[in-house]
Amino acid sequence: MFLGVGAGMLWSGIRVFIPTLTGGAIDKDMANGWHPASLLFYAGAILVLGALSSTCSGFRRYLAFKVSYAVETDLRQAMFANLQELDFQYHDRAQTGQLMARAATDLQQINQLCTMIPITIANLLTVVLVSVFLLVIDWKLGLLALCCLPIVNVTAKAFSTRVHPVSMALQQDISNISTVVEETVTGIRAVKGFGAEGSQHRQLSGRADRVYDRIVHLARIRGLFQPMLDVIPAISMVAVLAYGGFLVIDHRIQVGQLVEFNLFITMLINPLRSLGQIIAQAQRAVASSERVSQILDALPEVADRPGARSLSPGPGEVRFDGVRFAYSKEGNPIFDGLDLVVAPGESVAVVGATGSGKTTLARLIPRFYEVDGGGVLLDGQDVRDLKVADLRRAVAVVFEDTFLFTETVAANIAFAEPGAAFERIERAAQLAGADSFIAELPDGYDTVLGERGFSLSGGQRQRIALARAILADPRVLILDDATSSVDANKEHEIRDALRQVMTDRTTIVIAHRPATISLAQRVVLLDEGRIAATGTHDELVATCSRYREVLAQAAALDAARTELRNELDEVPS
Amino acid sequence: MRGMGGGPGWSQGAVEDEDRVDAAEAGRIVKRTFRMMRPHRTGMFLALAVLVGFTLTTVAGPLIVGYAINHGLTAGHFNKRVVVASALVYLVVAVSMGVLERGQIILVNKVGESFLRDLRKRVFRHILSLSMSFFDREQTGRLVSRMTTDIDALENLVQQGMVIFVTSGLLFAGVIVIMAVLSPLLFVVTMVVLPPIVVASRKFRRESNVAYLNVRDRISQTLSTLQESLSGIRVVQAFGREESQFAHFVDHNQAQYDANLYATKLSARYFPVVEFTNSAATAVIIGFGALLVHWHRTSIGTVSAFVLFLAYLIDPIQQFSQLFNLVQQSGAALKKIFGLMDTEPSVSERPGAVELPDKGELVVDRVSFSYRPGESELVLKDVSIRVAPAERVALVGPTGAGKSTLAKLMARFYDPVEGTVSFGGVNLADATFSSVRRRIAVVPQEGFLFHGTILDNVRLADDTTSEDEVRQALRTIGCEQRFDALPEGLQTEVRERGSRLSAGERQLVSLARAALANPDVLILDEATSSLDPGTESEVEQALTALMAGRTVIVIAHRLSTAERADRVGVVDAGGLLELGTHEELVAKGGRYSALYQAWIGQNRSEGSEIETFGAAPEGGNGQGVMASGQTTSS
Repeated sequence: MFLGVGAGMLWSGIRVFIPTLTGGAIDKDMANGWHPASLLFYAGAILVLGALSSTCSGFRRYLAFKVSYAVETDLRQAMFANLQELDFQYHDRAQTGQLMARAATDLQQINQLCTMIPITIANLLTVVLVSVFLLVIDWKLGLLALCCLPIVNVTAKAFSTRVHPVSMALQQDISNISTVVEETVTGIRAVKGFGAEGSQHRQLSGRADRVYDRIVHLARIRGLFQPMLDVIPAISMVAVLAYGGFLVIDHRIQVGQLVEFNLFITMLINPLRSLGQIIAQAQRAVASSERVSQILDALPEVADRPGARSLSPGPGEVRFDGVRFAYSKEGNPIFDGLDLVVAPGESVAVVGATGSGKTTLARLIPRFYEVDGGGVLLDGQDVRDLKVADLRRAVAVVFEDTFLFTETVAANIAFAEPGAAFERIERAAQLAGADSFIAELPDGYDTVLGERGFSLSGGQRQRIALARAILADPRVLILDDATSSVDANKEHEIRDALRQVMTDRTTIVIAHRPATISLAQRVVLLDEGRIAATGTHDELVATCSRYREVLAQAAALDAARTELRNELDEVPS
Repeated sequence: MRGMGGGPGWSQGAVEDEDRVDAAEAGRIVKRTFRMMRPHRTGMFLALAVLVGFTLTTVAGPLIVGYAINHGLTAGHFNKRVVVASALVYLVVAVSMGVLERGQIILVNKVGESFLRDLRKRVFRHILSLSMSFFDREQTGRLVSRMTTDIDALENLVQQGMVIFVTSGLLFAGVIVIMAVLSPLLFVVTMVVLPPIVVASRKFRRESNVAYLNVRDRISQTLSTLQESLSGIRVVQAFGREESQFAHFVDHNQAQYDANLYATKLSARYFPVVEFTNSAATAVIIGFGALLVHWHRTSIGTVSAFVLFLAYLIDPIQQFSQLFNLVQQSGAALKKIFGLMDTEPSVSERPGAVELPDKGELVVDRVSFSYRPGESELVLKDVSIRVAPAERVALVGPTGAGKSTLAKLMARFYDPVEGTVSFGGVNLADATFSSVRRRIAVVPQEGFLFHGTILDNVRLADDTTSEDEVRQALRTIGCEQRFDALPEGLQTEVRERGSRLSAGERQLVSLARAALANPDVLILDEATSSLDPGTESEVEQALTALMAGRTVIVIAHRLSTAERADRVGVVDAGGLLELGTHEELVAKGGRYSALYQAWIGQNRSEGSEIETFGAAPEGGNGQGVMASGQTTSS
């Protein structure tokens, strides 16, 4: 940064001598006879100084941009690192779109300010030096030339301030257009089905008109300020020409000095304009950096405690010991003294109505959230005392909404261990019942999946997610409603896989379909954060009316979802 | 760069192959663009005239200074009147420059933007006119970027291109002429300095365009990596993969930095050349100019004017290289837009199309269909069915068997490859679009909602419909009260994809659209069951009201729906295998009967309903879906 500023100052320090040399050459060598030696000196000096100053200018530009890109890159990296550390609690609240805007727009604003710092310092120096030169040559003429110029600065700032809100609004107008286009294309069946082409087109026309109006408004603002910025220096020139002309005639200054004055004024225009702009830019960058630092300063609630221990080997017993938990300080507690023991190797199905706390229960084990009281223990060790990395390595979760990365099938399965041997990946896929459809993909295990890759059906995605968990070979496996996005009549395809995986492994299954539930050795019915009943599936069906009720409700919802999915799947390929 | 400002689509900036255009193509694109500009001709010429005026006033400054020095300030010819007159003329020129500049800014924007506004509307109208098969093929993101990224690229051209072209071109030409006239000798010497800068500019232009595309591509990659990590954050944390994700991101972030730095290097090399050329030219003009003054071949005023003119000579060269990139980028954008505009709708209105009659029989006659033209594998093969006015036909069959396709052909979303679909004796292919839409409405399964109020969503097909008419439609299907009960009634804004309305309410909106359209034929993707229990009965009632007195084709996912229809058609493997009343088909002992037996068997043993019996023929039906007392009343 200092190098950049130094290069910038050198640049302006050298540059300001060129008009003087030019004026001197005109006066000494043209107006007053023929002096080859002095002429050679002037021309040579202009050439040398020109070379020096332009070299400095190149360095200034390079260094300034280098530093500000480095700042932007570092900030983005720090932002990403912190976002990765922040816990579920934070991400539950944060909106992806907002975070993206911080990473793109806000960082750009900061970058632009950084870029402008060296040139601004150089510009300030230019203004000061040029002013001094002008005043030294002839202080009256100097004042005359300079008096117009502060207005340029003020105008430039006012311009930037006036333009900014309008151009922001314009951005919004433009994104409104893309909303209409996107909605129309996504909802094209509704549009075509009801013949809504006309009204959609009117919608778009209205928004296109709005964009037009906004740009014309912007043009009016520019049409007001831009000419002022051009006319004011020109008036300066006029004043210099008139008054300076008289001074020349009165032999108070020489003709070359007049040309020099003109060149100096030209040299002042850009610095003064950009000084006005940087004030406005700085205001924006400050607002942006406040938003960015909100992200950088957010602290994860879940992190390794000082002196966190490694997880010692164990058979995989999970114990909830008087657990209390609420999602927020003010909110209702989800659990208020929950006790539950899952024996090593046991498989337990957790069943409950929406909001009963079953997903929360599962998410407390890998410490996605921090308990408010009591403790969650893995093999007798409180999860809060363990290294987070160790804990999560030992507990694998398969989520309801499977997320696949834009990577190959193999990389998605080997997510927990990117270096895993291909045989292990293949075996995990076999166990998850995914190998047969993977073989049919265009590039087999090398097929790229994810949002920007090949799209799989819900059941296929789920099996990849299962394979991902199998490869991690966890001590405790949690299936968080992992089969619900698979149609009931296709669920049997992954049921065998589940049975395989659950054998001899502590497993907690959150489920609502009888077929899945019955895979577990024991069922726990959760109702409003309490364990309402426990037993085998058949026992509970026979004895517990609340259990039957919960299952019936779930089945109704399930039917609804299946219907919806069937329709969505029925798109010609 | 405007695309970065927010809103949807972070990865839209990605560089596509089509971003490169060759010379022959560029010619065609320019011609076509000028044709499209024709309606804006008057405005364009006016803007052009103002631009020329503005440029002339800009050049006038140094000329006046030069004149004043030559005729009022050269030793021996001192003349105060010349100085005063020059200053006054300069003042007038300066003020008119301001006025002309204001006019130029506003005019250029008005002309350019009205062209772009027209283009936006035209492109969108064209998108709307395209057929379903086009939307099946095309990705949403690509279509959206035609209307956003590409038009933004043109925006840059319109905003800067024309001004740069005229002012720089004129300045350059004007300055050359003036210099040549003032002092041909000095002019020739000055020109010696120019070749290096021309070469440097061309090189910079070429390299910086590549660098710019590369930077854009890198930015979009970084952002999409970030987006993916944020969306998948829970999986990342669950498997403790924060570090490898971070490393992955750092790679992309670093690549973006490198791309930016490369672009900076290019400009840090180029701009000093420009600056140095300026000084070098000044040195040459001073040195040689003094010689000429000594030889009495030129005057001090002329030398001064040359020095002051230099900026006008070098700036345009710089600007032109920028313009070239602008033209290239917008050329690529136009090429993609034209590509879209040249896509013909596969279903279109014939010249002399007629109105569909008010009432009539819906006849599908020996229809075959495939989604890709010329493909041998047919989705439907030789299907025929006649549906009488006010008759209800349920289509059943496994997913992908063709029942949805058959329904879509009945609404002319596609044209059959062979055979015809007609209503009241008129082939749909010979009917006007508007009359097809008026007579035949399709209610999609997913009640898709658009940004806006519930009112606007119901009157989707015609936004000029009055609120009273909308209310009337809501009343017909019995859900006026339900929407009135919402906080802001019909004015309630439904946000993204209708997140504030339940699935049932969304479907009610969809049914209300149909009620408002008041068609003769209703094509329903069965909607009765994808619901929260609360709205189920309401949707049921709405449907019953809606179907009354209309011809109905329903794609049934549940046998209970089929049971209530007048006739049932079993579609499988692209053919209509069975067609008859529920009783007939059950008695017949075919496919339908097997499904029915499986269903009631399930029903008896577990008291449940099996939903998508679409998969039933494959054997694994039901899998013990457990529900007590959830049978739909039938």
